[in-house]
Amino acid sequence: MSLVLLYLAGLGLLAGRWLLRQRLAAKPWLEAGPAVALPPSGPPARLGLAVFLAAVGLLFALLTAAYAMRVPAGAARALPDPRLVWLSTGLLVLASLALHLAGAAARHGERTALRAALLIAAAATLGFLAGQGLAWRDLVASGLASPDAAGAFFILITGLHALHLGGGLAGLGAVTARAFRAGPDPAPGLALCALYWDVLLAIWLVLFGLLFRTPWSGLIDTLCRPA
Amino acid sequence: MADAHPGTADRLPGAIEEGELYHPRSWITRYVFSQDAKIIAIQYSSTALAIGLVALVLSWLIRLQLGFPGLVSFIGPSEYYQYITMHGMIMVVYLLTALFLGGFGNYLIPLMLGARDMVFPYVNMLSYWIYLLAVLVLVASFFVPGGPTGAGWTLYPPQAILAGTPGRDWGIVLMLVSLILFIIGFTMGGVNYVVTVLQARAPGMTLMRMPLTIWGIFTATVLALLAFPALFVGALMMLLDRLLGTSFFMPAIIEAGQRLRHGGGSPILFQHLFWFFGHPEVYIVALPAFGIVSDLISTHARKNIFGYRMMVWAIVAIGALSFVVWAHHMYVSGMNPYFGFFFATTTLIIAIPTAIKVYNWVLTLWRGDIHLTVPMLFAIGFIVTFLNGGLTGLFLGNVVVDVPLSDTMFVVAHFHMVMGVAPILVIFGGIYHWYPKVTGRMLDERLGKLHFWVTFLGAYLIFFPMHYLGLLGVPRRYFEIEGLSFVPASVSPLNAFISVVAFVVGAAQIAFLVNLVHSLRHGAPAGPNPWRATTLEWQTPETPPAHGNWGASLPVVYRWPYDYSVPGADRDFVPQNQPGLRRAGASA
Repeated sequence: MSLVLLYLAGLGLLAGRWLLRQRLAAKPWLEAGPAVALPPSGPPARLGLAVFLAAVGLLFALLTAAYAMRVPAGAARALPDPRLVWLSTGLLVLASLALHLAGAAARHGERTALRAALLIAAAATLGFLAGQGLAWRDLVASGLASPDAAGAFFILITGLHALHLGGGLAGLGAVTARAFRAGPDPAPGLALCALYWDVLLAIWLVLFGLLFRTPWSGLIDTLCRPA
Repeated sequence: MADAHPGTADRLPGAIEEGELYHPRSWITRYVFSQDAKIIAIQYSSTALAIGLVALVLSWLIRLQLGFPGLVSFIGPSEYYQYITMHGMIMVVYLLTALFLGGFGNYLIPLMLGARDMVFPYVNMLSYWIYLLAVLVLVASFFVPGGPTGAGWTLYPPQAILAGTPGRDWGIVLMLVSLILFIIGFTMGGVNYVVTVLQARAPGMTLMRMPLTIWGIFTATVLALLAFPALFVGALMMLLDRLLGTSFFMPAIIEAGQRLRHGGGSPILFQHLFWFFGHPEVYIVALPAFGIVSDLISTHARKNIFGYRMMVWAIVAIGALSFVVWAHHMYVSGMNPYFGFFFATTTLIIAIPTAIKVYNWVLTLWRGDIHLTVPMLFAIGFIVTFLNGGLTGLFLGNVVVDVPLSDTMFVVAHFHMVMGVAPILVIFGGIYHWYPKVTGRMLDERLGKLHFWVTFLGAYLIFFPMHYLGLLGVPRRYFEIEGLSFVPASVSPLNAFISVVAFVVGAAQIAFLVNLVHSLRHGAPAGPNPWRATTLEWQTPETPPAHGNWGASLPVVYRWPYDYSVPGADRDFVPQNQPGLRRAGASA
């Protein structure tokens, strides 16, 4: 639960900081007059994606809370072959990096490097999804209905994460198609993809630490489980 | 200078020019698969009102059983549980949430902020169609074998998916799928509302110049975006428990001598997830109502809202606090008493910003030039009803008082007053207020007053006595209370009385529907601004507003939305887009 509260507190701090800059102490009834210039902010699509990702982040934070409440400490972590999961984690990191490289290439106008980086990102993401698919096959074969629910949670949590990545792939596909045509600039869509992948990677690292034994599992446990 | 538009230099990035707007090319894309927020708002509202009528009929059937048990043969215990479940779920999620955010939000956010449309019109359209799909899946559950789920609107496991609960085979699955669809559709709309408020406001529309309606809808949308994920997770996990035999929520259970394959699950976990959504949900419904009622009172009392800044701060504070009170719905779940103490404290703290709002509404009315129009009647009705429901909330927020009142009719009376009747009064008030802008015609005032008085007095006659029933110990969710040793005989005639009033109040809604349909063609022409209101939606060049809302150029905002009865002004209201003060001695 504490991860959820921390997450909400973090969002609250961001919202509070933003609200403080909105002149909430203004006295609008005294301030009739010419239009006040509004502070500039980023493109709407980026803000929209950020709002969506804030909700997605909470979705996964709630899942970690549910996991911590339902699965006894130590009962888990006998899940699919961890080497497979380390490999797919590496692929997701690669995808995220490739998207940033693609962004740099787009800024410098290097079309070939941009296309190569986009293809690598898409392929690495597909590789990650394939790795998760293999892990699920192992689990379903060994039976889902274990009483500690660790396997069921693994399927549920990674499944939702994979669905989100799948949706991202649709967007990445559109950006890639744009990069292969001469026409419109792919950079704005590319920036959205990079943000989306970064957040989903961060979420995955938390989930990875929760579901498996990793160097940062202790930290995740302290955050998710009451002492 | 004063009337000239300063161009687009200081417009926000979400603001779009007339030419950049998506323009429909056929009747289908204009009125069916429309991307215009105004059409989407009407679609949302009509769908929500239609499914709300189903829930109204269900409430009649519930009252038929409670008031006159055994009178009709088709209501057995299973049917009764199905009625109360579907009535609750439809009213809370598919009517109130959808109507306030999808209906009022879509119509008012762009118009009140001086935007041409929502920022992502296509996603906005998808939002409605997924909502419609969710409603259709929900309705389908009435027609599947076994009927809809009868698990109670809170859908608590394990009983929700055990044999013996009505609708266990199909109904619960369709219910959960429908909720998941609803949340997906809402998220699409919600992202739109938030980004539109943040980035598509007209030049000069600072946050502190936004009408309170927008503050309420905006904050409620943020709450919903953060609360619905919990319901999403809960619904998904229960769906897996039901369909795949996982044990997220299902403990080891022996059913009819057979051990089920579930084991080790935590029913309390579902309660936490459900109420982590469920309590903010109360404010998802209440905050838009707070906002709308503030604007109705100010407009129809011809007076600026009292304490605008406090009203804004209170909305934000209530929104933030609503995330740390959820377990007050779970006092009898066996939680640690220290948790109960914590949640009772946070619950009672919410009374402070809420009381500020009530005082400010009353102080806005004080010495106002009160016009008892139909929207104003509903607004005043809301204040009284909300105050009443809020006071019983103080009872139930205290653990020691709540425990004996848990699961009695007192709770039913409380939440119907505070989040059933009160918000629906605002919805009616809002519809009477904005219908002239939507259609260009006034609703009939006599029918409206009839509708108000029957609904308002009737709601009191229904729910006020229920508090006494609850104090007597009459339990909620019971199919039959006749013959229970702890229920006095005098309860039966009171139940019959409540039922008769409920039939009358339900029937009075026909007057409202007739009014809605009849006035569409035969209402008195409204003109652009029949209430002489200041906010931007009343200043559109056309009524009803055309696609793109503002003609060639966006409005420019020069003042806050509550300049009513400004001393020395030549009219008793000054529209937000009117430059210059026009006060005596201080000309523009």
